[in-house]
Amino acid sequence: MNDNNSPSCCSKFRPCPVIINILVILVFSCHGAPAVFAGDRVVTVGVYENAPKIFTAESGKPSGIFVDIIENIAKTEGWDLRYVSGTWGQGLDRVQKGEIDLMPDVAYTSDRSRIYAFHKVPVLSSWYQVYAPEKNRIQTILDLNGKRILVLERSVQQEAFTRLSKGFGLNMTLISVPDYDTMFETVAKGDADAAITNRFYGMMHAKQFGLKDTAVIFEPSDLFFAAPKNGDDHILTVIDEYLDDLKQDHASIYYQSLKRWSSEDVQFKLPEWVKNAGIALVVFLLMSLAGGILLKRQVNARTRSLSHRNAQMTIMDRTLRAAATERYVPAILENLLQGALDLTGVESGVLCLSDPETKGMSLSAVRNVSGKMAAQLKNNAGRMNGCFSGCALDSGKPSILRDNNAADTPAAQPSSDEEGFGFHASFPLKVKDEIIAILCIFSHTGIRPDQQSMDLVEDICSTVAMAIQNARLFEQAKHHEEKLEQKVTEQTAELKVAMEQAMAADRLKSAFLATMSHELRTPLNSIIGFTGIMLQGLAGPLNEEQHKQLSMVQGSSRHLLALINDVLDISKIEAGQLNLSVSSFTLKDSIEKMVKLVSPPAEAKGIALRMKMDENVDTVTTDQRRLEQVILNLLNNAVKFTESGEVSILCRRDHDHYRISVSDTGIGIKPEEITGLFQPFHQIDTGLSRKHEGTGLGLSICRKLITMMNGTIDVQSNWGKGSTFTVRLPAA
Amino acid sequence: MSETLLIIEDNPQNLYMMRFLLEKSGFTIIDAENGRIGIDMALKHKPKAILLDIQLPEMDGYAVAERLKTYPELSDIPIIAVTSYAMMGDRERILAAGAIGYIEKPIDPETFVSEIQRYL
Repeated sequence: MNDNNSPSCCSKFRPCPVIINILVILVFSCHGAPAVFAGDRVVTVGVYENAPKIFTAESGKPSGIFVDIIENIAKTEGWDLRYVSGTWGQGLDRVQKGEIDLMPDVAYTSDRSRIYAFHKVPVLSSWYQVYAPEKNRIQTILDLNGKRILVLERSVQQEAFTRLSKGFGLNMTLISVPDYDTMFETVAKGDADAAITNRFYGMMHAKQFGLKDTAVIFEPSDLFFAAPKNGDDHILTVIDEYLDDLKQDHASIYYQSLKRWSSEDVQFKLPEWVKNAGIALVVFLLMSLAGGILLKRQVNARTRSLSHRNAQMTIMDRTLRAAATERYVPAILENLLQGALDLTGVESGVLCLSDPETKGMSLSAVRNVSGKMAAQLKNNAGRMNGCFSGCALDSGKPSILRDNNAADTPAAQPSSDEEGFGFHASFPLKVKDEIIAILCIFSHTGIRPDQQSMDLVEDICSTVAMAIQNARLFEQAKHHEEKLEQKVTEQTAELKVAMEQAMAADRLKSAFLATMSHELRTPLNSIIGFTGIMLQGLAGPLNEEQHKQLSMVQGSSRHLLALINDVLDISKIEAGQLNLSVSSFTLKDSIEKMVKLVSPPAEAKGIALRMKMDENVDTVTTDQRRLEQVILNLLNNAVKFTESGEVSILCRRDHDHYRISVSDTGIGIKPEEITGLFQPFHQIDTGLSRKHEGTGLGLSICRKLITMMNGTIDVQSNWGKGSTFTVRLPAA
Repeated sequence: MSETLLIIEDNPQNLYMMRFLLEKSGFTIIDAENGRIGIDMALKHKPKAILLDIQLPEMDGYAVAERLKTYPELSDIPIIAVTSYAMMGDRERILAAGAIGYIEKPIDPETFVSEIQRYL
């Protein structure tokens, strides 16, 4: 296959001194020639048929633009070139497997860059063009619809053309062919309608096959030597160096080769205008070549810049996210410092944090700072004025120093004498107008962060300042909460103690009252008992005066006993120790019994006692003894406070409750005294109390007892006319 | 022969008063100042009835009543509790402990003897 096209193309070229030179080199290299070129290395190069870029000449020798260039390089570098012929596809396979060092004429694509290594300066720029016999009338891409088109197998153009034709919605048959010569032969024979080749090959061979170029041009591309991936980059670097030089020198082998393999031949065959067009084309080619390189450099630079920017954004995101979620101030500071170093690329930094109370700065985070410097910083952190960070502290603005030798501020003093950093920047972290921390970053190496990085650091500083403030507030709030909780716990404990003390005191009071009551009552029992015995005459006869006085003793004793009993009742009720002894009994009987008890004093005062009970008054379920106590109390009061007229008791049943009313025609109660009537130790009018003996506890006890029985007691009174006390009790 | 009553009472004045009133009415009175002696005397004299104070030193009236009831030979002797108003609510308790009656202090000299006779 490698020879099938050679005779026709090579016949057009004349030998020239360059070729002789190359042949000489080739001869040496073929023989290994280690004696001549010390440190020779063998470089194997793939060859396929794609004249004039690369092909095998009639003599069997590899030729073409790529060969000229690589041989020129090999001559100077002392490489021993070995050629391996094959098809395009074989060549690609070999270079991929590392069987050969270089494959020429490979267009750069991103897919290929993953498989092969490329040098950077393109050897040639080319494009692809469709060639067809004139009779096929193919002028635009639309004319290709339904046609059979030949394309080089595994080539860039195959893929690109497929994409292109799809874009136009064309339906065509693409047939892969291993080399360009076969392609043109097939089309010439009429077995296919058109062929796609690179512009070099087409320009050179179309006429010979009776084909014509069409207006279908696509996929401009740069052509390189491809090398095995992960192979020896040295070869590629060397090629780039040479190409740079060769392209600058218009007399170089590069331009000679281009001239020899393309223009000269074409010029020979074509009319004058085509020659001019060819020159224009060459100029255009060179310009596009230069433009391509420039564009590529710009794209590379832009890509680098974008990727740098992207990395910075990632750092920003990480730093700000951490600042927003972290509640622990030292962690926020560590994170900020790391973020600032990552953003700027400098290696060292410190962070000083102000104390919220003393406002003094203290060293809080450190990266890559020598022990001596850290110690100095630690000692000086409290008084930073004078040092470089002090500038930021004083001005409240970022302060940047790019070369400490040119310092026009009193900068960099604490440590620069020996440390000597070339770059130093300080950023204040401010909340409102207060500086709460200072971030300093510095570098001993040649790193000079750009303004964009510095702006980003300034940005995160302002956000992190807020985060620190928030974290501090959070800590304060937490601290307050803990204090509050502690206080509550303490107070609860105190209250518990106080409550226990109060309860203990209350138990003591109850015990005291019970004991006192007993102790008072026991001698009182003797007084009352013996007085009674003597008044009965059981101990011997008494005269009238003795009888009168003993009666007074008896009256006073009984009053004292009643007082003691009432006090004990009140204290028992208030301590919740008085329990009702509930039973069912006949209400009528109880009332009658109590009326009987008050009839002697009523009679004595000449007061009428009236009792009226409805027929439906039946049994009641409550504490009999206590209810009787209440009724007796009300009746006694009525008799006591009535001088003339009557005392009446009325009992009736109203639906689900009994109503017991005790009315009198006595002195009545003033409206303003009614309110306090049921309070303990309340007696209406001190003047009256002398006249009407009483403990002042009776009504208070009555109300408490009736309330315990789920009943109510109230009073209606006209001052000077009388009163009515009404008790309502559940009938059930 | 007059009927014998046992009074278990630690207060000398109260004891004297009860003894005075009951002896006036023809009873023979024996007494004890605490429950332990009271039980011994009850076992020895088999009185017609026992007047028992609730608030006693060492062994209180409830315990004395319960102990008295454990002796079959004493089980028929009525026990009458004599106690103060302060112990209201304890009526049920002393009745449960074995007393058949309950007289509240201060005693009324006019009704005391007749109340006692009610239980005999």
